[in-house]
Amino acid sequence: MTHPIRRRLDAGDDPQAAERGLASLVLTVVELLRELMERQALRRVEEGTVTDEQAERLGYTLMRLDERMNELVEAFGLEREDLNLDLGPLGTLLPKE
Amino acid sequence: MAALLVRRAGGLTSAARDRDRTELPPGFPAERVALVDLLDRVLAEGVVVTGEITLSIADVDLVTVSLRALLASVGTLNRQEGR
Repeated sequence: MTHPIRRRLDAGDDPQAAERGLASLVLTVVELLRELMERQALRRVEEGTVTDEQAERLGYTLMRLDERMNELVEAFGLEREDLNLDLGPLGTLLPKE
Repeated sequence: MAALLVRRAGGLTSAARDRDRTELPPGFPAERVALVDLLDRVLAEGVVVTGEITLSIADVDLVTVSLRALLASVGTLNRQEGR
C-alpha cells in the first residue's frame, strides 16, 4: 500500500503527526539509498569483484541496516510500506513487497 | 550473508514478474519498474549530466553554475579503466 506524496507533507495540527511526517520523509530517503546500495553490492558480488570477506561484511552490514530500519520505523509509529512513495505514472519508489 | 543476497535476488525477479496491473496512459511502457531499480540500472551503465544555469536579475548576470557530472557505480568505473 503506497500513499501519494501530498499525504506525507500534510502534518495537520497534531505535533505527533508532524514528527511522523518528517521522520517518514527522512527515512524514505535513507531507505532509497540503502536499497540502492544493496542492489549495487549484489552486482559486485555477482561480478566477483569483491573478496569473500568483503562480501560477508557487505551482507552482514546490509542485514543490520535492514533490522535497524525496522526499529526506527516502529519507533516513529510507521510501517515499512509508509516509506514507499507512489510516483504516479513513474511507478513506485521501491518495489512492492 | 549468502541467504540475504539470494533472497534479494529472488525478490528482484519476482518483482519483475508481478507487473502492476493498473491502467497506464498511452505512451507509457507496460513494464513498471520501481525507481530504485531504475537508478540501479542507470548507475550500472553510468551517465553524464551536463547543465548550464545563469541566474540574472534585470538582464544582469549574477550567478553562473556550469555542471558536468559523471554518475556511475565504482564497479563500472573500474571496468572502464581496465580497458
